[in-house]
Amino acid sequence: MIVGEWTSAPGSDEIVTGSARYCPDIKLADMLTGRLLYSPHARARIRKLDVTRARKLPGVHAVMTHVDIPGENSYLYGHPDQPLLVVDEVRFQGDAVAAVAAIDEKTADAALQMIDVEYDVLPGQFDPLDSMQPDAEPVLPGEDNVLLFQTYTNGDVDAAIAAADVVVENTYRTQWAEHAFLETEGAVAFVDEAGLLTVYSSCQAPHRDRMQIARATSLPESAVRVITPYIGGAFGGKDEAHVQMHAALLAQATGQPVTLVRGRRESILTHVKRHPVIVECITAASKDGQLLAVKARVIGDAGPYSNATHEVLNKLAEFIGGPYTVQNVEVQKIGVRTNNPITGAFRGFGAPQAAFVYESQMDEIARELEIDPLEIRLRNGVETGSKMYTGVVVREGTGMKESLHKAAEMIGWNQRGKCERAPDEHLRRGFGMATILKGCGLGRGLGDHASVILEMHRDGSVILRSAAADMGQGIVTVLAQLAADGLGVELSSVRVVRADTAQSPDAGASCGSRQTMVSGNAVIEAANSIRDTLLGLAAMKTKLSKEELSLRNGRLFVNGEAHAMTVRDLAERASNWGYPLHAETLVHFDYPADVPKVTYKYSQEVFQFCTQIAQVLVDTQTGQVTVERLIAVHDVGKMINPGGVYGQIEGGVAQGIGYALTEELVVKDGITQNPSLENYIIPMALDLPEIEMAVLENPEPRGAPLGAKGVAEAPIIPTAAAIRNAILDAIDKPLHELPMNPERVLYA
Amino acid sequence: MTDKNINFTVNGETHTVEADATKTLLQVLRDNLDLTGSKDGCSSGDCGACVVLVDGQAENSCMILSPQIEGADVKTVEGIAGDDALHPLQKAFAETWAFQCGFCTPGMLISCYALLQSNPEPSRDDVLTAIAGNFCRCTGYQAVVNAVQQAAAEMRGAGSV
Repeated sequence: MIVGEWTSAPGSDEIVTGSARYCPDIKLADMLTGRLLYSPHARARIRKLDVTRARKLPGVHAVMTHVDIPGENSYLYGHPDQPLLVVDEVRFQGDAVAAVAAIDEKTADAALQMIDVEYDVLPGQFDPLDSMQPDAEPVLPGEDNVLLFQTYTNGDVDAAIAAADVVVENTYRTQWAEHAFLETEGAVAFVDEAGLLTVYSSCQAPHRDRMQIARATSLPESAVRVITPYIGGAFGGKDEAHVQMHAALLAQATGQPVTLVRGRRESILTHVKRHPVIVECITAASKDGQLLAVKARVIGDAGPYSNATHEVLNKLAEFIGGPYTVQNVEVQKIGVRTNNPITGAFRGFGAPQAAFVYESQMDEIARELEIDPLEIRLRNGVETGSKMYTGVVVREGTGMKESLHKAAEMIGWNQRGKCERAPDEHLRRGFGMATILKGCGLGRGLGDHASVILEMHRDGSVILRSAAADMGQGIVTVLAQLAADGLGVELSSVRVVRADTAQSPDAGASCGSRQTMVSGNAVIEAANSIRDTLLGLAAMKTKLSKEELSLRNGRLFVNGEAHAMTVRDLAERASNWGYPLHAETLVHFDYPADVPKVTYKYSQEVFQFCTQIAQVLVDTQTGQVTVERLIAVHDVGKMINPGGVYGQIEGGVAQGIGYALTEELVVKDGITQNPSLENYIIPMALDLPEIEMAVLENPEPRGAPLGAKGVAEAPIIPTAAAIRNAILDAIDKPLHELPMNPERVLYA
Repeated sequence: MTDKNINFTVNGETHTVEADATKTLLQVLRDNLDLTGSKDGCSSGDCGACVVLVDGQAENSCMILSPQIEGADVKTVEGIAGDDALHPLQKAFAETWAFQCGFCTPGMLISCYALLQSNPEPSRDDVLTAIAGNFCRCTGYQAVVNAVQQAAAEMRGAGSV
């Protein structure tokens, strides 16, 4: 079996030798440099926009404003309300005003300087609590500032709260967080010999890019091709398109290749951030620690445009009750337009914000009732067959309680009292845990499907075409492993074509921890079909039944014994005689029809479970928090690629520690104060503890390749709450705001 | 700014490039010599994706201006493999999954390469200190420690350090 083994990624040689080409590395003959002019203001009316001088600068091939866009002037994730180039008003610091293509970077930069633009700066909406008032001036003309207002209710929440023994009520606030993918957004566009507008795109959703490029350029989708080169990280931040359409428009206008890559400052100022939210939450329990009700109001700052606000707040609200059996849940989600940075998808789609709330509440309930934090979670945790407040029935393969037990064992939870709590006069040590679930896939009813094309050649070599974007999370390796095992060949026999819309059918976005499951299943189905053909031929030749035959490591096996025939021999026969060694499959995410009634719209139903425990040391003089130990136990169903799984967990926890303690985009009146990696503080090698990881494998029985669920989002979700609860344990102060930097810890 | 000729050595080959004084070593490598292994992650010396060896020292190449490299001996990720085999560090990085997206890898490899030049048996802390300026957003740093220690053991066994 190749599945489950440590194996190097296909393409790893290119990465370690520096020959892997990412968007900024792509160079084409006569390639122009593209640049965008961004708004320096959070809100301003454009009084004058004159590009005449810039167009006359020698070396400038195009200067475009909104009037030069032949097609639709908007992004389209769900709602087409963000312009590619603004018409008359800029609505956040980062709105694009004009696009330039010139012979080199210097000329392009000079052209930007020569664009004559005059702004009348206007007062903006910078506080969602003000902006959501009925009399507030609209951020978008004719549009309500409240772009989403929905309430979900299950059970009788107010009655349950009234009857409860303990009620905890708090207001939580979270910050703007930056993905800081190491490769900034980029695209390279050109028209190929056949007239196809071709775009290399650093993205998570190549087919959605193609749709958006076609809309903007007014070309049919059949005339547009999107290819993903190597991609330097994304974490949700490249789920929505960025500069792909601008690069395509410039290439279309000039007839020459155009490279458009954002600098780091531009990147931080212009792409979506994790939503800052205000969550008012009431949690009620009985005196034996049984959760009785959760009532929450979630207000999310959308910035001026919708982007993924609906999706993020929908997931935030879906998971507000945590991995618990509580039935009475009422959650109101409110998305509000402001003139602050745009916000959207970021690893977990709102689930990290939700977990910070529900796991903080859990510890406060536990303290009120003097119940151990581990015990109260075990009393309320879901198991196989539990019906959740969303109506979803938890399937088999539920590692929630096992992850709690395992994490507690790894840190020595029950012995923590013996640990030195005050190693110095001003140092206090504490322990905190958080446990979460997060769904895989897009959600019920959201068109969650993927296709692949798999083909074996006459020499037994295999080509796999999948449009599942690999941003580093490792889907190419996972799909290659599944194909190799499915066809009984070595991993080295499988070549995966990185996502290319001209070669591969739509696999949907690489988001929501979905590709291993949905594209993985598509590969297994395709491999099964080809293997069946090969075994049929082997059965004819050996005069045995197919059931006695198998393929492994490129060889035929008869009842487990190696046979002289190879997969290559069989492939050659199939080719000679015209048997199909080619399969295209389309697989839908498996949502069972037999669930009584799922009441939460777009609910996810296959869950990643994980528990994290933090041991922290708090300096009560400075407010500095040091994470001394961090345990992370994850139920992934089945590990296909262990190297990738452990990497996802460790990297996700590192992001979670940053989210908890240091990472914060500081925005004042819509203007970002720290748009650099120097001032947006991310923990690096010397700032992190050794992450102690354990992986549980409770196979998902339905619709998962070999039982494998997703793993990508879960690792970042519980970390902030675990650290917060450890700080509470250490210094007896409940924090309700992220990040928990020294100021907040000192003045809590 | 006018272009000036700058003479320096990259991966054992001598080059003369025309560059103005505002151009960084990273830009010279990527634009003039098409050595795109070294990456630009921030242009401000904060991420380490552009780290190369300059006269044996690991440096952020985005923080060095072209006049400073006159006569220098530079080594990049493209220059650390042997004639017909990967360097043990490169092999170990791939085997231990010391990267996911790989964008930090060229700089990370050079920082670790520099470490092994002076320290054939690095501890965990030695490795973390050596990569303190190399930002990885995907994977964290434990796998890099594993990779460096695996490579160091192989190199000690082969007597190449």
